[in-house]
Amino acid sequence: MVDALLVHLFGLVQEAFRDCLLQVVVSHKPAGWGVILRTSCLDRGQSTIGGWSMSHLEHVLPAIVFLPFVVAIFTLLVGRLIGRQAGWLMVLSSVTAFAGSLWLFIHQQVQDRVAPVFTFAWLPDLNIHLNLRADPFGLFFAMLIAGIGVLVGIYSLGYIPRLATGRIGRYYAALIGFMGSMLGIALADDLFLLFVFWEVTSITSFLLIGFWYEQGKARKGALTALQITALGGLAMMAGFVLVGEATGTYQISILASQEALQQQLAASPLFTPALLLVFVGAFTKSAQVPFHFWLPNAMVAPTPVSTYLHAATMVKAGVFLVGRMLPIFNQSAYWSPILITVGLFTFFLGAYQAFRENDLKGMLARTTISSLGLVMMIYGLNAASQDALQIFNHAAYKGTLFLVVGIVEHATHTRDIRKLGGLRKKMPIVFVLCLLAGLSMAGLPPFFGFIAKETLYAELLHNDVLHNWPYLQWFVIGTCVLANAFIFAVSFRLICGVFLGPLSDKARDVHTPCAFLWIPPAVLAVVMVAVGISSAWPLTQNLVNMLSSDVHAEARVSLFPSADHLGPLILSCCTIGIGILIFKAREVVGQIQRQFDFFPEMQTVWDEVLNGVTWFAECFTRYWQNGSMRWYFSGILLFFVGLSILAISYFRLSFDLVPISLSQMPWSGFGLCILLVITVVTVVVARTRLGAAIALTATGFLVALIFVVYRSPDILLTQILIESVSTIFILLILFYMPSFKKDRLRPAQKMLNLGISCAVGVTMFIFVLFATSLPFRETKNLAGEYLSRAFHGAGGQNAVNVIIVDFRAVDTMGEITVLVVVGLCVFGLLRTRRRMRL
Amino acid sequence: MNNSPILRTVVRVVVPITIIVSLRIFFQGHSQPGGGFVAGVLVAAAGAMYLLGFGIERAARWAWWKISVVGLLVSVFTGTVPLLLGRSFMDHAVWQRHVPVMGDIHFSSATFFDVGVYLIVFGTLMTIFVELGQEGH
Repeated sequence: MVDALLVHLFGLVQEAFRDCLLQVVVSHKPAGWGVILRTSCLDRGQSTIGGWSMSHLEHVLPAIVFLPFVVAIFTLLVGRLIGRQAGWLMVLSSVTAFAGSLWLFIHQQVQDRVAPVFTFAWLPDLNIHLNLRADPFGLFFAMLIAGIGVLVGIYSLGYIPRLATGRIGRYYAALIGFMGSMLGIALADDLFLLFVFWEVTSITSFLLIGFWYEQGKARKGALTALQITALGGLAMMAGFVLVGEATGTYQISILASQEALQQQLAASPLFTPALLLVFVGAFTKSAQVPFHFWLPNAMVAPTPVSTYLHAATMVKAGVFLVGRMLPIFNQSAYWSPILITVGLFTFFLGAYQAFRENDLKGMLARTTISSLGLVMMIYGLNAASQDALQIFNHAAYKGTLFLVVGIVEHATHTRDIRKLGGLRKKMPIVFVLCLLAGLSMAGLPPFFGFIAKETLYAELLHNDVLHNWPYLQWFVIGTCVLANAFIFAVSFRLICGVFLGPLSDKARDVHTPCAFLWIPPAVLAVVMVAVGISSAWPLTQNLVNMLSSDVHAEARVSLFPSADHLGPLILSCCTIGIGILIFKAREVVGQIQRQFDFFPEMQTVWDEVLNGVTWFAECFTRYWQNGSMRWYFSGILLFFVGLSILAISYFRLSFDLVPISLSQMPWSGFGLCILLVITVVTVVVARTRLGAAIALTATGFLVALIFVVYRSPDILLTQILIESVSTIFILLILFYMPSFKKDRLRPAQKMLNLGISCAVGVTMFIFVLFATSLPFRETKNLAGEYLSRAFHGAGGQNAVNVIIVDFRAVDTMGEITVLVVVGLCVFGLLRTRRRMRL
Repeated sequence: MNNSPILRTVVRVVVPITIIVSLRIFFQGHSQPGGGFVAGVLVAAAGAMYLLGFGIERAARWAWWKISVVGLLVSVFTGTVPLLLGRSFMDHAVWQRHVPVMGDIHFSSATFFDVGVYLIVFGTLMTIFVELGQEGH
């Protein structure tokens, strides 16, 4: 068994970490990295640190989530060697993930109904943990992701053409990494962990959409998708931070289950902003209006990617997030209005626009937008009990349709519905598959789509949220019927346009698809039909309720309409009737739709926004980065002066606190100071650059002499060396500088420069003086403290060096990184310039 | 730059001495004035002397920036090792041994970090010297 192997592997990792864990537990030090494994602390009310005798159930969780990432890296490494065969790695890892999720689910249902929890102290100081939790809704999502992943992996084997092997390796690595991050979203129990996986899906989807990166369209589509989803993700993270601030925890299961925390959150002023920010994240990911435009543009991706990311899984992450947040934010007065408005509008708009689309994938993308809007609306209606039903239904038929369209495109090299037709004789199997999925999308019995639609109508007729406003209820029902009718018409347009009618030119010499291409949609279609028919049995109904995000779900699912299903049945008949009308009168409807073309596309609006940002950035840069050294220095130094004055006034420092008087100064120091002043004045008044450079060097060495007087050898050594090296620099630079010309400045400009220089000098002087003042000297004996710590704590007598390499090593780390970057920049800039001159 | 035999002779003698002194300054850094930064600047000064004496052509063939990158890797790695051992980032260890002849010997893992600083300072300064020096050619 693969799972047994995984568990064994995890056991080994666990062994390796045990020593460090014991150390942490024994010494009671704050642990940077400690592993705390426990069974569900929520459900069992205790956590066992260091107790290793629990079942291995929760170890499967990190294996499910992180194994794909390991495989992805492996694929990246070996992709160059094995090329197209890398697809089998995708199949293997998704089969493993599916088996793991299924095992967890069955185990949970059969045994104790306790959700396994895996906890790993990730950033304990920030209260962020690597928590994974396998509740039924998460497992449902994970099984969906992994299951479709298997099919997409097999499909890709036949779909991706023979390209350079490295490129195919990168494709599969991104696809497997995407699957891992989706599984992470499904199983994460920490808001920040969820956010991290969320953004990883945005990045991998960017890579996958831009697979045909030679095409400008692909690059633009990928970039738009990344901009929208990543920005939405950042908004979502801000929302998470607000939730954490208000409640003190980031753990989703605690937030969802403890009413006291929910009350606390609801009472907080951060509640509504947090809700809105999280909604922005969910709406961008799930392509809701007004962020919907990225999804049709993302259809430039290879079809397996569109199937996987933009129909079955990634776009559902937003919906999934709303489902996860339902118990947390449900008390908000804005929850239902926002979700119903956005969801309903998206539901209708997607279906409406899908009908006028001619690109096959564009049609499917817009109906996907529409279905996502439907699920958003369901959450708004507090009818979470049917979310799993609707999500599964959409994934099944839309996945099949995308794969079918991919086959058609592969065979005919076009996706334009106007150029296609009559393919039923050329590829009968594909025709049957498309027929099954299309009828399910249209919502005809006995397919699952029919059941989903019936359940929706039943909910709309008896919904608690809408019950108080009868007009609104009928408006919502009417819009839903109309939207479903459009989707019905789209289904028939798809089936008839591609497979029926006379054979088109493009379709004349098509080849039959290879088995890799038609088996995945066939499997999906079989599952779809089987689930649809099996819903006559109570088991399916139980399963639907069990898998939904609502713990007490009681959705009624039935293939056979009973007496109380009469209302939905009538609405279904209306839908089908209107749908047939729209389909029959498609010429007229198309003309009407063309009348409404004056609305600007959201894509245009977004492009304008981006142009505006670029324009602003250009103006801003031109103003601030004008190339004048004097301007830069004035800005930086004035900021420094302002900050210093603020600090001095904030801490109420005064000269009374300074214990030093001039009378204590040795005569040698006094003489050095006079010399220093002379050299500095020389720097300013020097007529040549060389003279100024020499005077500057003299200043540096005089300062070094002051360190002699005050006996600080460490700084002395540094100062002398630095001065020598910077003299070499200055000479090197002078060698290539233009001859020295004094700028003719206006008197006002001169006075301003003088003022700035004086202000900087005086501030620096005061600042150094205060550094030795009484509060610093007396409250804490800093020097003594550092000296004793340096010796006892770090085994060194040179406190300065110990501070640099040990106490403040992380600061030094930053500084040396900057140093390396500066070196690389100098190298790059000068080399490039030389090369360009040649 | 210019071809002075006097300069060359001086450089031949002074550069090895400077390098030895810089190593000495580096290793005494934990208890006396010195340390990776100063020692790195010193050895870069030795490099500058070499460039002045023997010209820039031979030195320019070297990718000096690689030294600084190696240094950064050394420093980061030093900080990461305690992380892997379950301590916090940059948590240095001190080994103390009593050796019969040499007395108590302190050795801190911070020394490795300092090696990184040394290499970075040297590599970066040499990069800048060589690149600026080539501008005229």
